[in-house]
Amino acid sequence: MRTRSETVRLEGHAKQAIETGRNRLILAGCLIGLAFVAVSARVVELSALRNHGEPALSASSVDTTLTVGRADIVDRNGLLVATSLRTPSLYADPKEVLDAEDAAFRLATALPDINPAETAAKLASDRRFVWLKRNLTPREQQQINSLGIPGLHFFDEWKRVYPQGSLTAHVVGFTDVDDRGISGVERSFDDVLRGGREPLRLALDLRVQHIVRQELAQQIATFDAIGGAGVVVDVDTGETIAMVSLPDFDSNVAGQMDADALFNRATLGVYEMGSTFKIFNTAMALEAGTATMRSGYDATNPIKISRFTISDYHAKRRWLSVPEIFKYSSNIGSVKMAVDVGTEGQRAFMAKLGMLRETALELPELGRPMVPSPWRPINTMTIAFGHGLSVSPMHLVAGVAAMVNGGIRRPLTILETDIPSPGERIISDRTSHDMRRLMRLVVGDGTGRKADADGYIVGGKTGTAEKVGGRGGYKRKALISSFVAAFPMQKPRYVVLVMVDEPKGTKESHGYATGGWVAAPAISRIIARSAPLLGVAPVDPESPEIRRDLMIEVPVEGGKRLASF
Amino acid sequence: MRRSTILWFLIATCLGVALFLVKHEVQRREEQLAQLHRQILSSQEAIHVLEAEWSYLNRPDRLEALVRRHLDLVPLDNQRIGSIELLPMRLPLPDPNGPDGMSVTQASIGPDATNLPPLPVGRPVAFTREARR
Repeated sequence: MRTRSETVRLEGHAKQAIETGRNRLILAGCLIGLAFVAVSARVVELSALRNHGEPALSASSVDTTLTVGRADIVDRNGLLVATSLRTPSLYADPKEVLDAEDAAFRLATALPDINPAETAAKLASDRRFVWLKRNLTPREQQQINSLGIPGLHFFDEWKRVYPQGSLTAHVVGFTDVDDRGISGVERSFDDVLRGGREPLRLALDLRVQHIVRQELAQQIATFDAIGGAGVVVDVDTGETIAMVSLPDFDSNVAGQMDADALFNRATLGVYEMGSTFKIFNTAMALEAGTATMRSGYDATNPIKISRFTISDYHAKRRWLSVPEIFKYSSNIGSVKMAVDVGTEGQRAFMAKLGMLRETALELPELGRPMVPSPWRPINTMTIAFGHGLSVSPMHLVAGVAAMVNGGIRRPLTILETDIPSPGERIISDRTSHDMRRLMRLVVGDGTGRKADADGYIVGGKTGTAEKVGGRGGYKRKALISSFVAAFPMQKPRYVVLVMVDEPKGTKESHGYATGGWVAAPAISRIIARSAPLLGVAPVDPESPEIRRDLMIEVPVEGGKRLASF
Repeated sequence: MRRSTILWFLIATCLGVALFLVKHEVQRREEQLAQLHRQILSSQEAIHVLEAEWSYLNRPDRLEALVRRHLDLVPLDNQRIGSIELLPMRLPLPDPNGPDGMSVTQASIGPDATNLPPLPVGRPVAFTREARR
């Protein structure tokens, strides 16, 4: 009993120490208990409550989309125009090559186009890396592998391939061996193509492009010309459906081509376009109100100004109405119309049409128009019939599109566009309608009869310009013969241009090499072949609506004559 | 006491074995996945090459030469393009429950069927880009 009471009744600092220990024990127990509660709460939360947040599958870090060196380029129907393929390139480590002479000799049996002596020198050099040939074919790789020469290695590189070859040469351009864009779309969209995976969609239609190229090539061959350009443009969107410049080159082997083949006559070449400019001249006079469809000018005598004489090619030597001036392509009448509008008015009109600066086309090869400075009255006279102001064929097409589509100028584009630019009004709808009737008159009854395509209501204007010679004069025998047309004329959808550089007259053309003989037949064939592809339905040219729409009064002196074409 | 220890030991062993199996299965599946990814990439590259070849073989000038050599096709003449409105009215088909009460079966359209309008034929398969895919 005594001992028990002694143990129970502890006094003083012994009791205090036990109390402290117990307190600490309780505190630690509480903390550990809280931690367990927290852990179990977290477990319950993760396993029971937050289950929805857990991904059912682990996220894959592997990228399953193929990355090619450069994005593809396709036409408006999705056909490949340019793509990148992985090809092996052959390099050597000369340190590993045992016998340079022998290796080079054996290599030449598999690659006939390499120079054995040069290759031997490369293989004997002191470096650790020499390129032997870039972008081999699979067959070549197989042959080299089977030769079993030590020290040769392959390195996979992306090579730009153009399945269409020379068909889209000037539009698409080409890249260098390191895949940098050098010309054409490859250059202007270099950044986009490098980074992008989505193919770049062009406005081109390869089928129409082929037709234009074929017909243009035929005219060049027939008339022994040095080159030419052919363009088809959508008048409502400014999309370039076809653009050909001949001679052309194969984009796959562009490095070996001469400068003339690489030269884009459709965008980079600037030419005095000749009579096709009378479209703009007439529209300008009609819009300014200085001439009407019923007025006319005396075209009896040639105009003499300083040392020039301006005369007519198809001279009528009488008073001519405005439709007749256009139809017979009278220089005298056109000059008088331009003089009435005045130098400033003409300059402002040409500026509004975009004839004084580069076109908006997304290509690096854009020709800068040669604009007279200062713009003298004599320039006003010559520009009236298309001399003295040099523009590229694309300028002409863009201008004509604005003349026939209701008077709205839209920038040309090489890419397919869903939303066309709102554009800028140049001439009134009424003037545009007059221009359509006048252009139809030329094809129906004037200098451009050969351009008509049955059922497609073609309208247009011929142009034959003498090229500028060496000493500031003109070369009589070197012509630029062109024809610019739109169809169908009751509601134009496409403008077509064919331009032939330095054609020579043939027996069939009775020695003529003018636009009406050289370019117009190609226009006719291009339209007849491509209109079904472009979704333009043929119509009956004799149907009353079309006759009424395109009917034109040709006033003659002292009376009126009705014509409808 | 002893019994519960054995039970816990058994549970731990089972869990360990299960974990080991699951881990191996996951590893195997991951390898499979990586292989599938590689296959997809190589198939995509093959498709890419084939598309280039398809495009090369579809060059308009080549197609034109082939058509000239092997087919009787000629360029479309605008006289052959018409609109739906130009088509004549479709003749009414004979009533299957006609006055004679006989139903028109495949067998009964025999010699009498000559004056019937031709039955519509299925469209030819168009080899468009969509069809290839």
